[in-house]
Amino acid sequence: MVSLQQNTSLPFRLCPEVSLRDVAVGSTARVADVTGSDLTSMRLLEMGLTPGVNVKVVGAAFLGGPLELELRGYRLSIRRSEAARVTMAR
Amino acid sequence: MSYAAGIPVAERAITVVLLGNPNTGKSTLFSAMAGIPTRVGNYPGVTVEEKLGRMAYRGHSIQLIDLPGTYSLAPKSPDEQVAVNVLRGQMPGVPAPQCVVVVADATNLERNLYLTSQTLELGIPTVIALTLCDVADEKGTAIDIQKLSERLGCAVVRVVASRREGIDLLCDEILAATGVPQPRPVGLDASLTAATATHSPAASEAIARYQWIENVLEGIVQRNPPAIRSLNDSIDAVVTHRVWGTLLFAATMLAMFSSIFWLATPLMDIISRGIDALAAGAEGLLPPGAIRSLVVNGVIAGVGGVVVFVPQIAMLFFFIAVLEGCGYLSRAAFLMDRLLVGVGLSGKSFIPLLSSFACAIPGIMAARTIENPRDRLLTILVAPLMSCSARLPVYLLLCGAFVPNVPVGTPWLRLPAVVLACMYAVGVVVAAAVAFVLKSTFFRGPPEPFVMELPGWRWPRWRVVLQRVRESVWSFLQNAGTLIVAVSIVVWALASYPHNAEVIHAEVQAQRQSLTDQLASLDSTPADAMPAERRELAADITEQLAFLDTEVGLAAAHRGAAQRQSFLGQGGRFIEPLVKPLGWDWRIGCAALASFPAREVVLGTLGVIYNLGEIDPGEAEDASALVRRLRSATWDGTTRKVFTLPVALSLMVFFALCAQCASTLVVIGKETHSWVWPVVAFAYMTVLAWLGACATYQLGTWILS
Repeated sequence: MVSLQQNTSLPFRLCPEVSLRDVAVGSTARVADVTGSDLTSMRLLEMGLTPGVNVKVVGAAFLGGPLELELRGYRLSIRRSEAARVTMAR
Repeated sequence: MSYAAGIPVAERAITVVLLGNPNTGKSTLFSAMAGIPTRVGNYPGVTVEEKLGRMAYRGHSIQLIDLPGTYSLAPKSPDEQVAVNVLRGQMPGVPAPQCVVVVADATNLERNLYLTSQTLELGIPTVIALTLCDVADEKGTAIDIQKLSERLGCAVVRVVASRREGIDLLCDEILAATGVPQPRPVGLDASLTAATATHSPAASEAIARYQWIENVLEGIVQRNPPAIRSLNDSIDAVVTHRVWGTLLFAATMLAMFSSIFWLATPLMDIISRGIDALAAGAEGLLPPGAIRSLVVNGVIAGVGGVVVFVPQIAMLFFFIAVLEGCGYLSRAAFLMDRLLVGVGLSGKSFIPLLSSFACAIPGIMAARTIENPRDRLLTILVAPLMSCSARLPVYLLLCGAFVPNVPVGTPWLRLPAVVLACMYAVGVVVAAAVAFVLKSTFFRGPPEPFVMELPGWRWPRWRVVLQRVRESVWSFLQNAGTLIVAVSIVVWALASYPHNAEVIHAEVQAQRQSLTDQLASLDSTPADAMPAERRELAADITEQLAFLDTEVGLAAAHRGAAQRQSFLGQGGRFIEPLVKPLGWDWRIGCAALASFPAREVVLGTLGVIYNLGEIDPGEAEDASALVRRLRSATWDGTTRKVFTLPVALSLMVFFALCAQCASTLVVIGKETHSWVWPVVAFAYMTVLAWLGACATYQLGTWILS
């Protein structure tokens, strides 16, 4: 279900954990965890990015801008740096 | 209810708090219930806005408190801290609420119930106002309100605030709920215990609440049919597409910006003409003297200076309300975030900054769409650096008159056009630098997450759009307008007094004498031996003397002398040492001082100071007369020209960066509810303008010599 834009050619042991940032536009993946316990991580959790929820990456802004996500029946935009905190189930 | 001590029982108001996520139609609901707020200010010590309103319902008086839009009650930002303090009754000066209305978006119930679950735990009587139900209907989302109410343990009311539907029912439920203790949400504690056992403490609360929400919503929400969903998806696919989305965005912004810039101009002209007619009428009615001058140049000019902004404000807020109403505003922020994050701002600053190129006043007001108080303040502080339309005539006149019209590289590109573009670039670059520096010094703090909801596509609600336009225009006229008029009157007084007719007369005589003497000394040399430059000077002096002999010329000379005698003129002389490093003489310094009410008056002021009388720089004839007079202006007592290329450039750079716009400063004060920020904006911009102008002049002189 998870399709990757990068890292696919790396051997499994060297492959870092898959984050929401690596999920290709158009595909859906399930959240495994949100790392960190600071304000940003708390906000991501509060917005519904909790472990077990399915997230579809709907789009991405140009020049490495934010991602557009669909989860819990609504659309959410987060920066790529923030998406990197969300690890996805493999 | 200790707060009510001393207030007669009959007048005791029920305090009701409106709480909700951003973009849930909370403000629309507030307006539908209480109309225009009775008080808008800041909570003590923070820049979080406090909005109060009052309404009467069935013999009860209800005091409404509109809290800032929040996603959560776990205090992380100043907004959330304020919300928590108000709800707990710990905010000084704010009575403890007797009822909380949680405004929940019916199209996005799952996420909206997160805040609801936190509110229900507080034990304050709670009523849920389910907003945007009309949009949910269109999307085909059906919600079993009866069942939802049972499971949450509080009343749930369907509301369409834009059509005032359900408002009475909501008020009935508020009255019914008040005084009845709120039971703890059923099953939430169990979820919290279960989640704490399996997850980290940071994640467990969110996991537990969403688990509880999923249980509550089980079988309550019938999701929309796929046909409508896919339409929403295909719109989004185009609008947020890397190529098409960006092109569409550029086109939308261009259309919006050019409308503010060009469509508002005819309306502003009509207003200006109306004000001129009013001034002419008052001039005819009143006898000449101080009263007439006060009415015409102080009051009418001041009111005109306020009303003239209305078309731009109305137009910008119309566009913002339409874009917000259809869901594009947050997409614009989404697309632009990458460009602005580098300088410490976010995508939400884009529209306020873009509109500031037309005029900083609507731009600063548009910063209301930025929820984060720190980003909003930063945007407000740098917005006046964008070159607004009031600077354009200054640039155009000076570029046309003093920048040599030579091609740069290609024959199509001429130097004045390049200089003009540079003036716009100076503002943008300096704004970026200022934002970056402020963000890494005084506005430092943990990075604010850019976690933003992208609402579904829908048709804008025209009532809401019109209400938004009306509110913005009204708040500008009522809050800022009165103060701008007052400032205009003060500046008028400074430019008109002291007024000593004898001294003015003597100065005009002395001027005439000095011109005659100069001409005589030139004439004493044989005409054919005169070099071209001296002949030109002689012709120029002859022209000035001839102008002095006409009635208009004499009046203009008196007007100029009066201005130079005034406090403002004295101020100009006083600051001469300060403006000398910029290459300016005291007259330019005086004009810069006098342009404090608005930058565009600097050309008119220069006209008055250089004895041309009241000129309209928009008229080609007046502008060319001003250019001729500026070109021939010399330093007092010498034949050295004042206006050279470096001086013109330094003047332009100064106006690109300075805060010579009283209206902008007043609006900054009103929008931030503080007098600190306009002072900060004025101080930093004036310092930067001086440094920039000084560097330009010194560098320009060094290069050209």
